Amino acid sequence: MVGLQILIDGFAISSLYALGAMGFTLIFGVSGVLNLSHGGIMAIAAVIGWLAAGDLGFGVYLGTLVGVAAGLVASYVTYFIVILPIQRSKAIPRDETEIFILTGTLLWGIMIQVGLAYLFTDNPVTMRPLIDGVTYIAGVRVPKNEIMIAIICWIVIGLLWLLVNKTPAGKRLLAASINPRGLTLLGFDLSRIYFFVWGIYGVLAGVAGVLLASFLGVSSASAGQLTASAFSIVVLGGLGSVSGSLVAAYVVGYLETITAYLIAPTLRPIPALLLLVLVIYVRPQGILGRR
Amino acid sequence: MKNLLHSPALYIAIVVTAIAALLPLWLDAYLLGILTVAYYFGVFSMAWDLLFGFAGEVNFGPTFLIGLGAYTAAILDNQFGPPIFVCVLAGAVVAVLGGLLLAVPALRLSGPYFGLVTLVAVLLLQNAIVIFAHWTGGEIGMTVPDVLSIDANENYWYALVFLVVSAVLLFGLSRSAVGLILQASGQDRIEAQALGFNVTKHKIAAFCVSALFSGVAGAMLIFYMGTASVDTVIDISIGVQVIIAAVLGGRRTILGAALGSIFLILATEFLRPLGQLNTFVVSAVALAVILFFPDGLLGYVLRAGERE
Amino acid sequence: MNAPVRLRVEHLNKRYGGLVAVKDISLELRAGEIVGLIGPNGSGKSTVMKLVMGIEPSSGGTIALDGDDITRWPSHRVARAGVGIVFQHSRPLHRQTVLENIKLALLPDSLLRLFAGRDVDTRARAIADRVGLSAVLNRRPPTLPFADLRRMEMAKAIARDPKVVLVDEPFAGLTLSEVATFSDLIRGFRDEGRAVLLVDHNVKSVAALVDRVFAMYLGERIAEGTAEEVMRDPTVRRVYLGGEIVASQKRSAAGTAKPPLLEVKDVSVLYGKAQALDNVSIHVGEGEFVSIVGLNGAGKTTLFNAMSGLVPYSGTITFGGQDLSRLTAGGIARAGLVQCPEGRELFGDMSVEENLDLGGQHLTAARRHEQLDWLLEMFPILRERRTQAARTLSGGEQQMLAIARALMMDPKLLILDEPTLGLAPVILEQLGRALERLRETSPITVVLGEQNVTFALPHADRVYVLEHARIAWEGDPQRFASEMGTGYL
Repeated sequence: MVGLQILIDGFAISSLYALGAMGFTLIFGVSGVLNLSHGGIMAIAAVIGWLAAGDLGFGVYLGTLVGVAAGLVASYVTYFIVILPIQRSKAIPRDETEIFILTGTLLWGIMIQVGLAYLFTDNPVTMRPLIDGVTYIAGVRVPKNEIMIAIICWIVIGLLWLLVNKTPAGKRLLAASINPRGLTLLGFDLSRIYFFVWGIYGVLAGVAGVLLASFLGVSSASAGQLTASAFSIVVLGGLGSVSGSLVAAYVVGYLETITAYLIAPTLRPIPALLLLVLVIYVRPQGILGRR
Repeated sequence: MKNLLHSPALYIAIVVTAIAALLPLWLDAYLLGILTVAYYFGVFSMAWDLLFGFAGEVNFGPTFLIGLGAYTAAILDNQFGPPIFVCVLAGAVVAVLGGLLLAVPALRLSGPYFGLVTLVAVLLLQNAIVIFAHWTGGEIGMTVPDVLSIDANENYWYALVFLVVSAVLLFGLSRSAVGLILQASGQDRIEAQALGFNVTKHKIAAFCVSALFSGVAGAMLIFYMGTASVDTVIDISIGVQVIIAAVLGGRRTILGAALGSIFLILATEFLRPLGQLNTFVVSAVALAVILFFPDGLLGYVLRAGERE
Repeated sequence: MNAPVRLRVEHLNKRYGGLVAVKDISLELRAGEIVGLIGPNGSGKSTVMKLVMGIEPSSGGTIALDGDDITRWPSHRVARAGVGIVFQHSRPLHRQTVLENIKLALLPDSLLRLFAGRDVDTRARAIADRVGLSAVLNRRPPTLPFADLRRMEMAKAIARDPKVVLVDEPFAGLTLSEVATFSDLIRGFRDEGRAVLLVDHNVKSVAALVDRVFAMYLGERIAEGTAEEVMRDPTVRRVYLGGEIVASQKRSAAGTAKPPLLEVKDVSVLYGKAQALDNVSIHVGEGEFVSIVGLNGAGKTTLFNAMSGLVPYSGTITFGGQDLSRLTAGGIARAGLVQCPEGRELFGDMSVEENLDLGGQHLTAARRHEQLDWLLEMFPILRERRTQAARTLSGGEQQMLAIARALMMDPKLLILDEPTLGLAPVILEQLGRALERLRETSPITVVLGEQNVTFALPHADRVYVLEHARIAWEGDPQRFASEMGTGYL
């Protein structure tokens, strides 16, 4: 039954989108950075994970972990080589920092894309499934891997929620996104907070990248598209609102899945784009955005 | 005006242009072809710099305007076959309408939101071209029956003249009284309005001018290459090149943008033996320039004069 | 007297959501007079100016310029109709020369005029000469001293010969001699027949210049008349000073024998070009309560931000023998020098409890519980509102939360920056009592920065007066009443 198929597939892809988007918006909310090399970081995680699982013979599970670790490393490299120098630069006027970060991360994203293609491959890489086989839910055929991916996504989302809402370190992150000066006055150095948040981001993007490779396949060429969809979802949900990104990811995921099944697979990204245009005109701060 | 005639920069510019005009005597058709494309990209970047440097709006999808101009001209030529200049004109008109469309949200949004609108516009155009493949040739692209010329030298001079005329117009605009108002509008909206300027009106005008030049240049590029495709005039990476060229050359200098484009395209060509890596190297160099010389090449030279 | 009314404001209102910033303000401005619109921070005076200029749309009432209704006109129209404005912070075009900046002000609002007329250049030079900028016409703003930037703002404002000139905080950041020159300039505007409206928070500084004063507080008019009349008005004195200046019971001399806990030596701070602090030196002994008294803009917040490591400064600040320039801002707070800032800087979306918790994160769990209990006792209202989001609290409750949060850090020295700002008198009493209890139950050292002298004096062991970025007076509260009392406002 198509409806149920859409429901299930949509859920899986939305969960993946959610993971990527939440990381993207977390970085923006806490660090004020729109990282346009986001897709590149996900691609690095995917490719390294695939490499580790296959060519290096680590096997699927270990390969996945290696991929996530690669995402973490890529995140920190991005922060220290591109973001921090721009933020600290005295030659760039304050009000232009944002533009420079956008351009800088864009360039960095291109470098990652081309670098990956050159060093490894520009063909789509697909991770072997974490769990083989299929199962049937109410008569609909679902690969077990898909269920596994959705479950992992939600575990990570759950952990993120716990971190931000229940741990002292997470509360500091939340406070930093609300009022960084207030946090400094309470004796916390922001540089440590930023280091922490880029680490979390690296893990989120890494997991999203590797799982995406397992589900749909990722190629270095899709890095740009991945950034674009994360960006769209985040704006839809409200820049800086992690829960907004979650909601928006499901909206976009389902819109895309419905379009692919009921209209045409090639028109997949269109409705989400149109929705985005609508939101920008009508309610630019997004569904759950505050500022 | 007096200052301009006395400035050494003017004479340097004239000499450079003269040399450029004579290059076909020494260079082969292949290199001339590279330069021809570079000159059109120069106009793309200058149009971008006008919008950014002077109206203060960062357009992350310049290829939206370029693509509108290019494809309108191409489709018109394919379907009805009017003379080239009519097609180019049509492209310009559609691009300006597109510019107006972008201007509306720009005036209400700011910062990341506006940047996103421009990116989305490109994605939408890209998807539209794929959907209406019957008219546009879809992802493969389309050919146009007419071209400007089949002679490499003639094509080169068309591009050079176009570049020089555009440079004179855009640079002149940037240095004019209107340019000053635009700068103020982009830099400090409230102050500009308190001084009696209708900032909205000026920004819309800036969008339209940027769109006009982008559209015409896009159309002319099509009639040079004889083909139009997403990869050559719409893809985000093309837009990124335009932006990087302008930043590399020096924001707010107009002429720097043209220089940046020429440098970028020549550098990519020069590094072609590296294969795919040439993009990597060029991007890395651009990133380094952004980090260490944020004022860009020309900007750095000019600022040195300002620091007294 | 019989001069025409240039600007007439009637029953002007401005509402931001639920907050009323301007309430039923009516005033008249005649040609050839200078009117001072004064009030403390948050009084609505700057909002009135913005409404007149069309920078913000009003919520009600009318504004008329020479009889024409200009209410809710966009600011470029208001400017073209004959109103010039000098903003509080200079807004030059950084990449253009002084001459080009002034020429800009003379250009018509046209899309097509590519060249400015020849007369534009001549007029621009004449204006520059008038304000004293002839020597720097070809320099760019980043190279100019602060006063010249202010001159340029004046030049731009009068460029098109406006009937009305609005000036926001004309003397902020200027040296005394520059104040005299600028006063002459402004008098010149008046003598040319223009109507001038000065907006400032300090009656004393504009007293010599204005013909009339209109005083505002919390969006409403509280007094109107000559400068002397307004300065003597009891409502105005209460608003600025908090009431009668009474010398309090003398506290036992604490901390004078011990070495100072905090030593600030020759500290100067520049905000861009403006001298925010000029060679300020103070010392605070352990256990002392020191009040730093001064009007808005005198430099109190700048001083505290320098102490907390939030702004760069020249000079030295030592705390407990340690040079603070070696520490990061977070490190300074951890070292025991904690600031409860003017803006409170609460985490609005987080609950009262979460805010307090964040303050106590450097303590052990046991110590944190102790502190929390102690503070909830001192501020019982916080116990009631424990789970509420901080931004839903009233002004007074937020202030108490901010102080409690700072105290959660178990500081050695607590800086309180303008805690009474915008609070009702009833809340002030509660706050005062809380401070009393604090002094009685802990050995904490306190530095209080306040405009409200009545609040600042009773608790203090010593008082500093900060005026125009400098320490103008130092001594104990008794002497303050007798020496500074009447001259303060």
